[in-house]
Amino acid sequence: MMEMNNITKTFGNGEMTTPVLKGISFTIDQGEYVAIMGTSGTGKSTLMNILGLLDRATDGRYLLDGTDVTTLDDRQLSRLRNKKLGFVFQQFHLLERTSARKNVLLPLIYAEEYPDDADTRAEAALVTVGLADRVDYRPNELSGGQQQRVAIARALINDPELILADEPTGNLDRRSGLEVLDVFKRLHQQGRTLLTVTHDQAVAEHADRIIVMEDGQVAQDQRVDQPRDAARELEQFQQEAQA
Amino acid sequence: MRTLRIVGIGFEALVTHKLRTLLMMAGTLVGVAALTVVMAMGKGAEKKIMKRVENFGPRAIMLIAGGGKDVPGPDLTTTTLTLRDAEAIRQNIGGIEAIAPAAMQRQMPIKAGAAQVQATIFACESDWHHAWDWYAQVGEGITDDDNSMLARVCVIGQTVREELFPDTDPVGQYLHIGNVRFQVKGVLEKRGTSPMGTDFDNRLLIPLTTGMRRLFNQDHLSYIRIKVAEVSQLETVTRDVRRLIHERHRIGPAEEDDFRLISAEIVARFAAGSSRTLSILLTVLAGLSLLIGGVVLMNILLISVKERTREIGLRRAIGASRTDVFVQFLAESLTVTLLGMAVGVLLGWGLCLLLPRFTPMPLVVSWESIALATGAAMAVGTFFGIQPARRAARLDPVKALQ
Repeated sequence: MMEMNNITKTFGNGEMTTPVLKGISFTIDQGEYVAIMGTSGTGKSTLMNILGLLDRATDGRYLLDGTDVTTLDDRQLSRLRNKKLGFVFQQFHLLERTSARKNVLLPLIYAEEYPDDADTRAEAALVTVGLADRVDYRPNELSGGQQQRVAIARALINDPELILADEPTGNLDRRSGLEVLDVFKRLHQQGRTLLTVTHDQAVAEHADRIIVMEDGQVAQDQRVDQPRDAARELEQFQQEAQA
Repeated sequence: MRTLRIVGIGFEALVTHKLRTLLMMAGTLVGVAALTVVMAMGKGAEKKIMKRVENFGPRAIMLIAGGGKDVPGPDLTTTTLTLRDAEAIRQNIGGIEAIAPAAMQRQMPIKAGAAQVQATIFACESDWHHAWDWYAQVGEGITDDDNSMLARVCVIGQTVREELFPDTDPVGQYLHIGNVRFQVKGVLEKRGTSPMGTDFDNRLLIPLTTGMRRLFNQDHLSYIRIKVAEVSQLETVTRDVRRLIHERHRIGPAEEDDFRLISAEIVARFAAGSSRTLSILLTVLAGLSLLIGGVVLMNILLISVKERTREIGLRRAIGASRTDVFVQFLAESLTVTLLGMAVGVLLGWGLCLLLPRFTPMPLVVSWESIALATGAAMAVGTFFGIQPARRAARLDPVKALQ
């Protein structure tokens, strides 16, 4: 469902150019849970931005659902982001002074048609991330983990083909991080396609495939035989905390 | 529908940040209110001038004794303008409907019993009424018989009537001009303010012969009023009269005139003079305040774009195109402008209703001035709203999200 073919990205122009991505190729199929790993400066964020249609590749081909997105204009790209992608950021990026429900509804503003069942959908999305009882809370009334789960619900509202998460647990304590990863795991089990970018090996091991980036290139692309189970780790963590 | 939802975001932002909205609105509000009031002032002044021109008579030419450039009244020490001049005009110049020679004295003390007033005395013929379109409202005006008999009768203006005969019917009553006794035979219609801003109704008419021989003891006239048949003839008649009087008074091309010719056009120009300049100046100032309001609006929006960089980044990520972001921010500035405009018009209008209670200034609120004020505000709001909206739209989503 997603194919990257020899993607390159170079920053700067003229004589002062810095190649950041040096020919990246891989495909991600429907229903996969992929982690892109690498230390900072390896180009994984740039790759994430290109994957998320927020940035353009300097060269190469990127097919999303069979469409070559390298030739699309801003309007068409925006529409694709809205319809097919769901973003989860390290800093959550929720609107302050705005309820969880309204934050979740936000992407629908930019949808072609505002669905009649928008409110029901928002509530369903919040139920999925385990926040059924926090629908009318504002971000400042929620914990970090809860805020990130609102952000996940927001990513789900348009029923996207692909969820892109950039260091989703980076700003969270261990417990909240596990809660988020647990949500991801359940989404994966429901058949959703997920792509997480992280520098944290432990986080990456929750996925069932890890792509390791090094110096703007794919260094490794491996299946994970035994992905970690967030639900169990969460349980263990709670037991340790009680003991 | 989608656009409407995006416009809605801009609107919501305004509701959320009320103080900021108020600050953004203030400039437009004050500017529009000021423009409305100032333009109402200009319109009021214009109406006043029109009224004065109307009072002067749109078809009238005043041949006034005494030279100089000023418009105000005759120079009473100039003795060269005579009845023979009036006769010559009557004989030689065509296109004239009425001609009214008159002699006048200012500030004459008038008494009736214990009441006393100072008024301007006009000695005139029966045609004076026609030449001025100004007739007796009560009783009758000056007649040819009055003139041929040197009758000691007078027709009084409304102000004189109020001062001397507040409660009684003045017709048939007597009054004294100096030591000479006159019988009141009529009261003139009310006329209001003269082109020079003096009270037109503080006057008293007597027969020309009586005035010249009995009261003033003079042979010369103060002015000759000429009423042309058609407005289009004003220019030719004025030119012909000037040539004729030059000839009769033997004034060479290099010499200074001993008379002035004043027509409605000159009166309008004179009356408009200072008030128009002031009105233009005030309008410019009000427009400037609107402009400054626009700059303030722009800067607040620019700050707000900066503060909301992350929000803009997020919106781009979840599906807003550059155009969508542009629309959102432009909607915000236009909504503020519309709001400021509406309140500004109401405030300005209110002031226009309130101010005349405290000042004698005439204020006329017109639809044109409101349209102009709101139009200007809209233009300013759009112009200064575009820059911040463009900046917001051009933000790189990747950088905005960092």
